[in-house]
Amino acid sequence: MRVIKLKKDNLFPFLEVISEKADLWAPVKKGDKHVFKVVDDFSKVELNTTRTILPPRKIFLPQTFSMFNISEKGYEEDFSHVTKKILFGIHPCDIHGLLTLDNFFKQDYLDPYYLEARKNTLILGLSCWPDEYCFAKSTNTHIIEEGFDLFFTDLKDFFLVWIGSSKGDDLIRLKPEFFDENLTDKDIQTYIDWQTARDNAYKWSINFTALPDLMELKYRDPLWEKLGDACLACGSCTNVCPTCNCYNIMDKQFLGGKDGKMIRYWDACTLEEYSEVAGGENFRKKRADRLKLWYTHKLQAYISKYGKPSCVGCGRCIVTCPVDINVRTVGKALLGEKEDAFWLRFNKEVTK
Amino acid sequence: MEKENNDKLKIGIYELTGCAGDALLILDCEKELVDIFNAADIQSFLMAKSDNIDEELDIALVEGSVSTEREKEELLDIRKRAKTVVAIGICSCFGGIQAAFLDQKEWEKNFKKVYGDAKMTHTKPVQSKPIDAYIKVDYYLPGCPIGKEQFLSTFNRILRGNPPDLYRFPVCVECKWNENDCLLNKDIPCLGPITRAGCGSICINHNLPCVGCWGLVEEANLTSEFQLLQEKGFDYDFIKKKMANFSGTGIADFLGNLKGDKK
Repeated sequence: MRVIKLKKDNLFPFLEVISEKADLWAPVKKGDKHVFKVVDDFSKVELNTTRTILPPRKIFLPQTFSMFNISEKGYEEDFSHVTKKILFGIHPCDIHGLLTLDNFFKQDYLDPYYLEARKNTLILGLSCWPDEYCFAKSTNTHIIEEGFDLFFTDLKDFFLVWIGSSKGDDLIRLKPEFFDENLTDKDIQTYIDWQTARDNAYKWSINFTALPDLMELKYRDPLWEKLGDACLACGSCTNVCPTCNCYNIMDKQFLGGKDGKMIRYWDACTLEEYSEVAGGENFRKKRADRLKLWYTHKLQAYISKYGKPSCVGCGRCIVTCPVDINVRTVGKALLGEKEDAFWLRFNKEVTK
Repeated sequence: MEKENNDKLKIGIYELTGCAGDALLILDCEKELVDIFNAADIQSFLMAKSDNIDEELDIALVEGSVSTEREKEELLDIRKRAKTVVAIGICSCFGGIQAAFLDQKEWEKNFKKVYGDAKMTHTKPVQSKPIDAYIKVDYYLPGCPIGKEQFLSTFNRILRGNPPDLYRFPVCVECKWNENDCLLNKDIPCLGPITRAGCGSICINHNLPCVGCWGLVEEANLTSEFQLLQEKGFDYDFIKKKMANFSGTGIADFLGNLKGDKK
């Protein structure tokens, strides 16, 4: 993989040039958090962010979108969500998240809605610095070797740019004068020092290797009932997870005519309706059973198939769940490590 | 081709005690109003027209709660005339704000406080209740007021003989879709997790906490929400009042059995 240098001042002019023929999605501020958004004003692009509220999968499969337009003549596929996009500022853990989604949507039945959007989006990764919730080093997703067209490592005065694909190379060729092919020994040393410091900046870790066995051994542990009692079943952990991929569909007919749409929207296995079948039976009526499913999937089942967890250590569930049910507290509880959490303090009765 | 009126389903839209916001919302579907009136034979709709006919109906949409004897009789009559009854709006579905005092004694005390010894001449007031306290309800369309999109979709579905297809998850789902930062995590008392979605998390989109005006979601974990708010420093009675505000009969059992109230 070729690595070149970009002067810091040249980043936004470069983004401006390459976004002429595609929408540029990048992290921008929303309140005191960040979100991926289409940007026109490059001064709004944030380079020093942690996680966005929603993961970048929303750029490929929007929260709700139309799959089919239905009319008297029949139906036609609706790919209006597929447009030419450039996703800039995606961190290594989230790129791993996309690679995980690729596995889902490419297995057995190809999902054209995801794959078409994926094909039409260039991935321009950006290095990041962990905060107290990040644990990507535990999932080995703090580094990335594939899944991007370009990857920018921010070394204060300049970027080192990894060229990960020929499409990425084409972008560089639009403005070769912005880049410097010649890396000095000093540049390389700066990178090594940065990487060492970044790796040491992860404040805590979790032993994922032990978790598949523990999921098995503690499948009937009272822990799950305790989690289920406190769980608000709000679906937020699922919605913010970069590797969750479930969806539901809903038919929408328009009044008066024979036209309609088939709408696809993000579903969550942590919601009650998810496991309900015709006749009103529900396989996972209990919240504890649903949480077990979610964690089995993240910490066990995916590992046995792909050799790695389907958790990428982004920390979104940690900052999002109001009752502290997240990979950190659940993982630690499985490992028998002490960790403070609302669900551990929760009482079945409300007292004054 | 437009259908003749006699081919269309006969619809009545009625308002009991409430702010009339749901009927108003139907009228506010300006772009679709012609379609609404073309798709069905709207026989009775007091807010929209004066030539109302109150006879046999295929579908009655009923807004508001029952708060007088006269409304009770009106409602029983609607049920008798209509094949299908749909409760629209929070008041009709759960009793609304006026059903916040579920205890009969509390209600009488408050009634006296407001009206004193005034004589009610035209009808006898009764404690406000949702319509299913008196009649069988076929479908519920909650909202305060109901949402335009859900109304049009529900109206369309019931005209075709299908049950409504409503979101059955809490506001938090739509709130996350809208990529809002969770207000509960900022120690703001938000009722999103216990409240039915459909509003598009409109309040939280404007940085205001959810007040629960669409009523409780089926699986509302009230104990957890209550304790979470307590942990964030909110007073026991404040939380009770906040939760009771819109939830009406939906929250009666939970509030009636709170251990904290038992001596």
